[in-house]
Amino acid sequence: MRGRIVAGLALLVIAAALVLALRPHEATAAERVDRITSELRCPVCQGLSVKDSPSETARQMRDLVVQRVGEGKTDAQIEDEFRASYGEWVLLAPPLVSWNGVIWAVPILALVGGVLVALRRMRAAPSDLERPTPRQLAELRERVRAEEAADA
Amino acid sequence: MAAKLVRGAIVVAILGLVVTLAFAFRRDPHDIRTGTVGKPAPEVSLDRLDGSGRVALGDLKGKVVVLNFFASWCLPCTEENPALVHVYERYRASDDVVMIGVNYQETRDNGLAYVRRMGMSWVTLADDDGRAALAYGVFGPPETFFIGPDGVIAGRHIGWIDEATLIAGIEAIRPAAAR
Repeated sequence: MRGRIVAGLALLVIAAALVLALRPHEATAAERVDRITSELRCPVCQGLSVKDSPSETARQMRDLVVQRVGEGKTDAQIEDEFRASYGEWVLLAPPLVSWNGVIWAVPILALVGGVLVALRRMRAAPSDLERPTPRQLAELRERVRAEEAADA
Repeated sequence: MAAKLVRGAIVVAILGLVVTLAFAFRRDPHDIRTGTVGKPAPEVSLDRLDGSGRVALGDLKGKVVVLNFFASWCLPCTEENPALVHVYERYRASDDVVMIGVNYQETRDNGLAYVRRMGMSWVTLADDDGRAALAYGVFGPPETFFIGPDGVIAGRHIGWIDEATLIAGIEAIRPAAAR
């Protein structure tokens, strides 16, 4: 009985901790800076985000993001400022609703198309085989019989 | 029917890839039309490298502005400098063309020493925190922007620039009356 109570209490504590950790909370300035800089491409690097790059340009971009967050700008406004200077390219993940959104759509469309073609072929396969007519069956049976007789 | 459809889709996909690659390879890598081209030039205000005051680019509306980002540690900047000197001398007497250099990611002392060594007589500015370069979407020096009298960025050249390209860029946006 006592063991059950302890286990129940432990579960309750874990559940409370999970709820507390996952509760929606307002991101701190540092969290926002991290999130924005991880979504921006470093212009002088090979596929690195501004957050991960040690370059001087990335440092200057981080400083600008910190300043803009401090000024109360929204994430979208800050990203728009960089987009105005460097184009859509500066965003590591292209927005879904844009011409670059095709990048997201093409693999999904290709996958769906491939699955459809495969399913169609799998269904079509049996119908390609012609069933032998009773006459052909009879002829085959006769041939087998004759071959068996010859072997005997 | 399905086989024909699949074959057609493959042909269309290959054609699309070929056309995309053909257009991509034909693009001039010196003329990447990113964010700022065709838009009003960011109105930045920067200190002169020699400490003799401040220059606001917004005050230069009505003139053709050649804005060149440079650094002493950048070899192509050194290589393109004679062309910049020639073009500056060519338009020096005209009051409708202004050439401005913006020192990129280095100390003012180093930038100023380079400016003096290379005979750069035009206005040169310090961009200590890199805000001007970020506002213009600079990838790295040298980069040259051609700003029209209307304050709109008409062209951009990434990398080493020659005299003919500089003159063509200026004349393309210079009012006919000023030529």
